[in-house]
Amino acid sequence: MKPAVCLFCLAVIWSLPSPAFAIQLHMGNEGIIVHQLGHIFFMLSMVGLMFTINSKKLTRQKGWRLIQYAALFFIFWNLNTLAAHFLDNQIAVVRIKTLSLSQMTIVSQSDSQLLAGIYYFLKLDHIWCVPAMVFLFSGLNCLLRDQVRRSDSAGG
Amino acid sequence: MTANLPILLVDVLGSVAMVVLGILSIFKAKSLRDQDPDNAVFLYLLWICAGFTIFAISRSFSHILRQFLILTGSGDIWHTIGPYTGAVNTISFMLVGTVTLFFNQSWRINEKILSAKQKQEDTSDKLLELNQTLEQKVVERTEMLTSSEHKARRIFEHSLDTIVVTDPQFNIVEINKAGVALTGFQKSDILDKKMGLKDFLTVTSEQEKILRLLETHEYILNEETDFLRADRSCVRVLITGGVDYGAFGCGKTFHFIIKNINDKKQMEQQIAQADKLAALGELSAGVAHEINNPLGIILGYTQLMLKNPGEHEEDLKTIEKHVKNCKIVVSDLLTFSRKGSTKMQPIDVCKVVDDVISFLGNHSDFKNVQMTTPGPCTGPLTVFGNEQELAQVVINLMINACHAIEKTGRILVETGTDDQGQVLITVKDNGTGIREKDFSRIFDPFFTTKPVGQGTGLGLSVGYGIIRRHGGDIIARNRKEKGAAFTISLPRAEAAHDNPDREKT
Repeated sequence: MKPAVCLFCLAVIWSLPSPAFAIQLHMGNEGIIVHQLGHIFFMLSMVGLMFTINSKKLTRQKGWRLIQYAALFFIFWNLNTLAAHFLDNQIAVVRIKTLSLSQMTIVSQSDSQLLAGIYYFLKLDHIWCVPAMVFLFSGLNCLLRDQVRRSDSAGG
Repeated sequence: MTANLPILLVDVLGSVAMVVLGILSIFKAKSLRDQDPDNAVFLYLLWICAGFTIFAISRSFSHILRQFLILTGSGDIWHTIGPYTGAVNTISFMLVGTVTLFFNQSWRINEKILSAKQKQEDTSDKLLELNQTLEQKVVERTEMLTSSEHKARRIFEHSLDTIVVTDPQFNIVEINKAGVALTGFQKSDILDKKMGLKDFLTVTSEQEKILRLLETHEYILNEETDFLRADRSCVRVLITGGVDYGAFGCGKTFHFIIKNINDKKQMEQQIAQADKLAALGELSAGVAHEINNPLGIILGYTQLMLKNPGEHEEDLKTIEKHVKNCKIVVSDLLTFSRKGSTKMQPIDVCKVVDDVISFLGNHSDFKNVQMTTPGPCTGPLTVFGNEQELAQVVINLMINACHAIEKTGRILVETGTDDQGQVLITVKDNGTGIREKDFSRIFDPFFTTKPVGQGTGLGLSVGYGIIRRHGGDIIARNRKEKGAAFTISLPRAEAAHDNPDREKT
């Protein structure tokens, strides 16, 4: 078909008044689901990293062992945040109301103290990700030390 | 109501700690990579750290901002920008997750790099080792090569047989000292004039045979042929040779070993001649003995009849004359075959030669012949023998020489000694020389080249018999210039007298 004919057909189609079904509408919960999926993906990649380190018998080296621990702590962190986002964003059974710099209240469905307690713990997610980063740093430090030692011994 | 401070502190401090740890991890990973820039796993770790740091910064920023806005009562603003920071957060940890998935690939790439590096190092080590030992190896090989070359050169130079190297056209490219001596040419002449093997092989049939064998079999083994020397004399040689296709870029060549067998051949001929003459001597002795008695009776009766001459006086005288001739022949035959009686004593060869020259100087046949000696005979050249017989031999040789120069020319008589102390008498003429085909027969009884009736053919054979009985030898050869030469060799008197077999009767 000649290009001129094609262009004419497109112009006719565009000029016709009709609904644009091709573009899907996105609801409000879509963002949190994508975020949760991102956490799951991040968690699975950390699981994969742990198994890969294990399968290659790298755990004999302290550096890789520490990196494996970092992956483990990131898995815990992901589980922590998945649960927290599930409770406050997805099913909205709990929320925090800040009263002042030192005071807040956790509003839970049916005033469940257990749910409030769990949520309070889940909000302290840095207890997982900060150690994970510490392990990552320590692991790299060990690998660097080993590498320097190897280079020195190779260099005589 | 619940305490907000722990959550707030953990959130803010944790966020700051995450950022700090992320940045420190990047530095560590970078240092690690600097240690080994080719390591793909270290590059992977650098990417992971970068991902975690981006994630930490994004997350910490949003957390601190959130706390700040809520605490300052600006919750509405947070509600506005919260989704954006959340989205950036999501992207950042998905990025980390994605990078993490490439660990396996990074590991495999790194293993390949390490393997290639190892191979390169191994090759480098081998090259280094080779390089370090190369000089030593070169020295060792050079020594071996020099030693080998020296041995080969010594064999080539000091071989008593001729060694010749030729190009494919059989032009000589190398020849040893023995070869130079055999040919009689200067080595430079042989090489500069590009003389070929064909120049020395004069007998066409033998040359063709040798070349044909070389073409078909590429080698020859103990081929006997005549070898022409620079002085135009020929020697008998054995040639062995073969092709060499060369190495290290050298061209095809032929190598020959040429053995001079001339002396051996001559000796073989002389032995054969001696055997033949010995057999003839035995035969002649028997015949002469049987004929001698009847001849004596015929001569006796003839002389008795001549005491009363009658009408047959002339016939009787003819019979007497021819019977006497027969007696002389028989006497010569007996002398040749050693059947005659001789008296042996020390004699001076110089005196014998001088007497012969003096005697023959008065002979009419030697009127136009110049008989010379190189100088006064420096004696004493004493041999043990019979003076008359020796003089007879020399006279026979001189008469033969006189006939060879057709009674006009020059005869040279030399006396002296050789390296073994043998006394030599040589009679040389400038006549026509001896034909090649006659060499093997000249000492045979009754062999003569003179016209019928002019010679009995017993002179040389009788002379040969006399000299052999004296423990000596006669050798005939053609001179380089012109004519023939006969050399008598006799043992000195002391040596001859020590041997009791020498005194014959």
